[in-house]
Amino acid sequence: MVKDKYILTGQNVSIGYKKGKSSKKIGASLTFKLQKEKLTCLLGPNGVGKSTFIKTIMGQLPSLEGSINFGHLPVQEIDAKLLAKKISVVLTDRISPGNLSVAQLVSLGRTPFTNWIGKLTLEDKEIVNEAMKATKTYYLKDQLVSELSDGQLQKVMIARALAQDGDLIILDEPTAHLDLVNRYEIMHLLREVTQNKHKSILVITHDLDIAIETADELWIMQCGDPLLCGTPEDLILSGKINKLLPSEELSFDSNTGKIRPKSFPLPPSIKGPQPITQWLNLALQKNSISLSEETSIHVTEAPLTFEISRPNFVFKAQSVQEVLQFLQKNN
Amino acid sequence: MIIGVVLLLVFFLVNISIGSVYIPIPQLIHGLLGADLDKASWETILFLYRIPKAITAVLVGISLSVSGLQMQTFFRNPLAGPYVLGISSGAGLGVAIMIMGGSALGITFSSSSNYMTWGIWGIIISGSLGAILVLLLMSLTAWKIKDSMTLLIIGLMFGSASGAVVSVLSYFGNAEDLKLFTIWSMGSLGGISGTQLEILSIICFIGIIPVIALLKSYNAMLMGERYATSMGVNIKSLRWAMILSTGLLAGSATAFCGPIAFIGIAVPHLARMIFRTGDHRILFPASALIGSCFLLISDAISQIPGSAETLPINVITSLFGAPLVIWLILKRNLSSEF
Repeated sequence: MVKDKYILTGQNVSIGYKKGKSSKKIGASLTFKLQKEKLTCLLGPNGVGKSTFIKTIMGQLPSLEGSINFGHLPVQEIDAKLLAKKISVVLTDRISPGNLSVAQLVSLGRTPFTNWIGKLTLEDKEIVNEAMKATKTYYLKDQLVSELSDGQLQKVMIARALAQDGDLIILDEPTAHLDLVNRYEIMHLLREVTQNKHKSILVITHDLDIAIETADELWIMQCGDPLLCGTPEDLILSGKINKLLPSEELSFDSNTGKIRPKSFPLPPSIKGPQPITQWLNLALQKNSISLSEETSIHVTEAPLTFEISRPNFVFKAQSVQEVLQFLQKNN
Repeated sequence: MIIGVVLLLVFFLVNISIGSVYIPIPQLIHGLLGADLDKASWETILFLYRIPKAITAVLVGISLSVSGLQMQTFFRNPLAGPYVLGISSGAGLGVAIMIMGGSALGITFSSSSNYMTWGIWGIIISGSLGAILVLLLMSLTAWKIKDSMTLLIIGLMFGSASGAVVSVLSYFGNAEDLKLFTIWSMGSLGGISGTQLEILSIICFIGIIPVIALLKSYNAMLMGERYATSMGVNIKSLRWAMILSTGLLAGSATAFCGPIAFIGIAVPHLARMIFRTGDHRILFPASALIGSCFLLISDAISQIPGSAETLPINVITSLFGAPLVIWLILKRNLSSEF
């Protein structure tokens, strides 16, 4: 019964587009197991094939090699109508559902379940209401979709996917072009959904910080490499997370969980309390100012002063900007 | 919706009462219930001319507006109408070849004796052949092409190409033929009766079946193709159904009555604005109702009450319809309603 821990599995799957006899391979030898009722984030640079991967999972695109199994069956062999009851999606496509209210839009999620004319049964209505409550959009139910803000719209789209009531929900960059607060809200919402509604969720995202904070598992997709899967914390501790950053200049700071430029040592000529010297150093790096050998800067707190000492004189500055101006003139 | 049905009946009665000879509405109701009318000539006018014409107006109104609704939703484009797939241009080409190409071969179609022999049937048959030809071409294209936007553009190109051939024919055609074709292209609801009306009703009925069966899919299409697919809608079969349905509806309406402008694009928008919904289970009957009402009123106006003259139906639909829609758009935000 080990297999039942996973909802979606793939063994050496190659994805890409087939056109006539030629095929364009985008990703190769992807091996993965999507855990049930967990939040998994798929990370990777633009153009690495994340969206193609999702299309393949949804059975809209055949895999070039290997097969993706939903439960025990390959997705390709599952009837589209049945698959719609199992997997629901939130896409990046902009929608223009004129004149639809939020409740009507969420009800569209019931499409695979309703009769030929799409009549909602009491049970359907209950599921729709539950989906709106779970995404905290119930208060919007009578509002028109065209009047929503981007953040609200995204939550409503999640509610629709939830109303479709599949076991697996796939979201393609649900937090793109949202503000920071909404990004956090959406990702935490998804986490709640996995726990309270027993859904498995796969999210494509570029927000590494938030992904680390909320995901149960990260999948890192990198051109030409096999898919890297693991708990975010493990990936950080083993340094594998640096795979996301192929460039030499960036590295992942395992203390703060942020991406930083690699070489960033504090020069010994800057002295003073911690956070201030760090920010001062950042300002100097940004403006590519390196201190000459005889210059030293002494920082004191309350009142904030930067004492720039040179053999022949001392300059006192009250702000980082003044330091920069002085050094740019006299360095 | 009930108000709509009542209005439709009222407009139907008004429509058949108005014309060069005015028949009072109470008399009409008597007549329709089987009683004898005050004047025997009224009976002839009513049953041989006015009622078939009003029924034609209702059928064509339904056909065009329902085709327009399908196109706009399927292509997610507010400018789509029943003519975008080039089907009615095909019908126009058929009629043009029949009228003007015939004279090139020595058959003067416009001469009265030939018109009597060929009559309206010739126009209907040639129009249908043209529409069917374009429909087949479009189906072939749809079979090859997966992208809906490409389909839309190819449809427009078919339309342009047929238009060009029609222009060539018009350029070389003689004056009488040209006038006959021009009058056809202005649209006319009259002159259809008996067997023709039966055929039109049957085609209209067949064309509407796939729409009713796919109302749910059209609702899902509001979210775009990819979402609809993810909800289990089979886009391929929906596309086929859409091409066949609009081909039958718009093709037959055009072949029988000429290219009637405006209804197909504007009526679905009117339905959205009046009923304030995107739900096709409401929009479909609403469009059908509004389309028929609109054409009945337009036809009534075209009789120019009190005069014996009749204006072409296209003049009325566009002349009165366009300002109405502009006014509605200015009053309400069309783009947020679509």
